[in-house]
Amino acid sequence: MDLETLKMAAKERQGLCDAIKRMIVDRLDLPIDPDWITDDQPLFGRGLELDSVDTLELMLGLEADFDLALTDDDRAAFGSVGTLAARILEERGSIVDAVVG
Amino acid sequence: MTITAPLTTLDSDGIRALLPHSWPFLYLDRVLELEPGESATGLKNVTVAEPHFAGHFPRTSVMPGVLIVEACAQLVGVVLLSRDDPESRDRALLASIDKFRFRAIVRPGDQLVLAVERQASFSGVHNFRAFARVDGNVVAEGRLSVAA
Repeated sequence: MDLETLKMAAKERQGLCDAIKRMIVDRLDLPIDPDWITDDQPLFGRGLELDSVDTLELMLGLEADFDLALTDDDRAAFGSVGTLAARILEERGSIVDAVVG
Repeated sequence: MTITAPLTTLDSDGIRALLPHSWPFLYLDRVLELEPGESATGLKNVTVAEPHFAGHFPRTSVMPGVLIVEACAQLVGVVLLSRDDPESRDRALLASIDKFRFRAIVRPGDQLVLAVERQASFSGVHNFRAFARVDGNVVAEGRLSVAA
């Protein structure tokens, strides 16, 4: 894999992470700037402190905006924005997954 | 191949056997279609004999919007408590009310036709889309989450 491919993959992943952050802030009406969320910040617990009702809202957002249907068994995917992005890319069969995933 | 799930109906006695509610706080008269765990349609006949009309309002009877939400939530309760799931609890409790809109006044004599459908589930909390119609017109719609 050459450097250009890697750069493109990283760019795609970053764009996706940014879109996920905007969706989270928008869907949950969070009083913060999407940029304040980091890619590896935990969504639950001491991170964004989301609860199960918030998670349901995110599940609906992920399906509507990113065509990703998650179930109760996919808890690991909700670890952070980064893990959600990895999961979306995995579903898309993207090259980035092979690099970052 | 399409597999059609069994659809069940419930009368008011069947509803009371499933839900812990009773008069004057049972807002569901009949379940027309039921797919346990997924969706249902139900009826709520609105009558002037209901106690809240004494105060809401003294000279004009209007069914409170929150009670339309409650009727939808009770139908969701039927959907969740009718599951053949040993882990499902014997009680369903409201966890969130999202983006409800009330589009028309509901009055005594109206028949509310309620429809709820599951959208997503996570960690024992279930999100449902809900519609309430009178004469085919949507009078209220929104989403609610119920823990069960």
